[in-house]
Amino acid sequence: MSGGQTIEVVVKAIEQVTPLIKHFQLASPRGEALPAFSGGSHVIVVMRGEARVHRNPYSLLSAPQNLDSYEIAVRRMDESRGGSHFMHDRLRVGSQLEIAHPVNLFGLDKIARKHLMIAGGIGITPFLAQLEDLHGGLVPYELHYSVRSAEHAAFLARLQAREQEHVHIYYDSENQVIDFEGLLSKQPLGTHVYVCGPAGFIGRVLDAARGCGWSPSHVHWEQFSAPPTGDVFQVQLARSMKKIVVPQDSTLLEAIEAAGVDVPYLCRGGVCGFCQSKVIECDGELLHYDHFLSDAEKAGGKTIMPCVSRARANHLVLDL
Amino acid sequence: MSVVFKPDETFRGEFTYSNSVAAIRRFPLPFAEDNYMYSVNIEPHAPGPKGSVTEFAFDVDEHYVAECKERALVLAAEPLRYQALPHMMSSQWDCLELVMESLSHDYPQLFSLERRSNAWHWINRPLGLDQRFTFGDVASLPCEPLDYATRQAQGDFVVMDQRDGDLWAEAGMVTTQADWSMDFDLGMTFREWHGPVPLAHEMQVFDRALKFLLNLRLGAPVRRLNWTMTVHPRLDTSPENYPKWGQDRARVTAKDAGDLVHLRVELQGLWRLPRSNAIVFGIRCYLISVRELATVPKWARRVHRVLKGLHPALVDYKGLTRYRDAVVEWLAPFDDGAPTTPGAGPE
Amino acid sequence: MLITGIKSKPIYAPLRFDEGGRYHLMLGLGVGREPLRRVLDEVRDQQALAVARTEVLYVPAAGDTGKATDQFALPGLAAVCLFGNSNALLEDFRARLGRSLMGTRLYVAGPESFIGMAMKVALDFNLNKDEIRAEECGTLARRVRCIHCRAITEDVKTNIAQCIGCGLWLLVRDHYSRRLAAYMGVMADAEAPGELPEIREVFL
Repeated sequence: MSGGQTIEVVVKAIEQVTPLIKHFQLASPRGEALPAFSGGSHVIVVMRGEARVHRNPYSLLSAPQNLDSYEIAVRRMDESRGGSHFMHDRLRVGSQLEIAHPVNLFGLDKIARKHLMIAGGIGITPFLAQLEDLHGGLVPYELHYSVRSAEHAAFLARLQAREQEHVHIYYDSENQVIDFEGLLSKQPLGTHVYVCGPAGFIGRVLDAARGCGWSPSHVHWEQFSAPPTGDVFQVQLARSMKKIVVPQDSTLLEAIEAAGVDVPYLCRGGVCGFCQSKVIECDGELLHYDHFLSDAEKAGGKTIMPCVSRARANHLVLDL
Repeated sequence: MSVVFKPDETFRGEFTYSNSVAAIRRFPLPFAEDNYMYSVNIEPHAPGPKGSVTEFAFDVDEHYVAECKERALVLAAEPLRYQALPHMMSSQWDCLELVMESLSHDYPQLFSLERRSNAWHWINRPLGLDQRFTFGDVASLPCEPLDYATRQAQGDFVVMDQRDGDLWAEAGMVTTQADWSMDFDLGMTFREWHGPVPLAHEMQVFDRALKFLLNLRLGAPVRRLNWTMTVHPRLDTSPENYPKWGQDRARVTAKDAGDLVHLRVELQGLWRLPRSNAIVFGIRCYLISVRELATVPKWARRVHRVLKGLHPALVDYKGLTRYRDAVVEWLAPFDDGAPTTPGAGPE
Repeated sequence: MLITGIKSKPIYAPLRFDEGGRYHLMLGLGVGREPLRRVLDEVRDQQALAVARTEVLYVPAAGDTGKATDQFALPGLAAVCLFGNSNALLEDFRARLGRSLMGTRLYVAGPESFIGMAMKVALDFNLNKDEIRAEECGTLARRVRCIHCRAITEDVKTNIAQCIGCGLWLLVRDHYSRRLAAYMGVMADAEAPGELPEIREVFL
């Protein structure tokens, strides 16, 4: 099993916090403390459905000081590959789950002179834990949270309980929008911006930051989007001598795992580079959807990130 | 293994340090073959065989009490051998937890830790310490948490913050080092910090190691071995004190090399820390005299061959220039040319 | 012990204008004027806004009594300030960084010791390597920190130099700390007292 040994947890509480978002509290079945983590961490939740195993990343939103339980929030996706539907429809209080150790690919910069956090919709979750880390500290911070309406704003009470000067909420329903340009053009030197939300939302913040002259080392983003679906294709795994079929709604990584072959992974979102695999042969086109490989590496066709990328080929051989 | 400490042995002055027969048998020889070159020799820090130096996260051996005393002497004379930048406080608590949890779990007869929420009670029996404190409250300890915990551990500790795609050495307790300075290197990136190491950069050893470490996972520590040689069993071969130990290198002769020269092996462990997302780099130093080493016939042959064939840049970097030949000559009678068995074990 | 070829030694490149930045803060000392003038030529070719968002802080070489406008003849610059010495410049620079906004790029031209001191200030404001460009010109004299007594000896031109703190003869290594803006100096004759290598002027 990749990601080290997994942790067994039991669902302690479920709450429908908005029409689309459910909030889960996960605890050790024996009441032990869970491993400590830092704000911005995610866990991979392993869901063993009848037909297939889902492994989805979810940000931890609970206070890092509280290790009696972890909290995650899951938005029901319209075209779910099954993970969010499993979480919404199949889990009950008392259900057993496995999770991997927390991993932080979206940590706060420890020498930042100011933190500027920008959340869109469900992208609020990592910031909830980070706010706990920042609370009472000396580094100034601001959170700007854009959401459909008050009814859809998860964890509003937690945010409103914070000092108002730190937290700004924008409702689409009231035509309130974040002025990214305005915000990013007036930040003191040494500020770091963090953005989490839908792809288009992140893209607009990144564009605004570039336009305002921000250097890349001060810009951080995280996005957990469902990996793209696509046409069925076949893969040969050279070292394990297996031939597998990747279904339409399954990732290459999931198909490899389903065949009993382990590939090390961390983010399952095409960002960290951990699952990078060598392509031995490919007579067609690799469909790279990751944010890790350089354009040259993608064009080179010698390597692939199986957590998100696919292929359109008749003959594809991986060094796995 | 029940440990019998040798609290009065010294790493300076009369240099009364020595290894028991059992300590020699478990010495972590870093040479699996008859020659040596760098490699990214990183492996999971999984529990090794019972009684071995890797059985537990942190090995406590017969030198524990004496090494803690030696550290206290160094710190009393030079407080800046411990340093931490202000943003490293959460990683300091992480380190304290790692050390205390590991020691109390692995050596319950020696150490105990009781946790009631943030109220912690630590007992260190070999050093006679009993400390109640509040986890997260610096004022409840006699000194900073990394300082406190690592004064009670063998080996050096460097804590690296992770940001901007790099690891920054920004806190550390370094009193048993092989000629590098925490005080000077504080704040450096991974490559800058390892700047003085020859050849390895060209071999991309550090690029690959950095890429690997940036993705180091919680609960999945790794380790590697490194080595050099030191005249006398001197733990503190810091550049700060080079005026005190530099001359030793010129004194070695083929007659006394077996007693004067020590193989110095570093068992380096790396852990991801949970609250800070930093990485702690533990550098545990094991010393063995060439004479003690030669009590194992396979090791005498192996070390003789490794030293004889060592790359000139490594001879220079490891500071062996003045006495490598003397050690090779001292070991020559032990090497009959017979093949050695694979692996580093004593046979 | 490696003396030269150490990877912590900074590598500099000819200054180029960074089009990705919004504000441009340029620092120069003595002959550092030439690289700055070159960058300002590039700024001239940008939109007028880039000129109005560029500030120049400069310490003229001794004996150079030219006015600010003579030094950097580009009308419309946000500021051109001349200083009598680098300490005065760095003090102003620090105050300016405190008022600066994200989007600022730093350009430094001059001897390495000047670049190092400017970078040290920039570090306090969390400027990262993708926000700073530096070109080394002028003397190669080094700031050397004694590893034994921690004193810093300025303006070292020789491979071996006497520490102003403890008086030891120090071998100057290529190992460089950005935090200290200094190279490491290690006792040169620790292994054989009195046996000093030939002292040569190497950092000119």
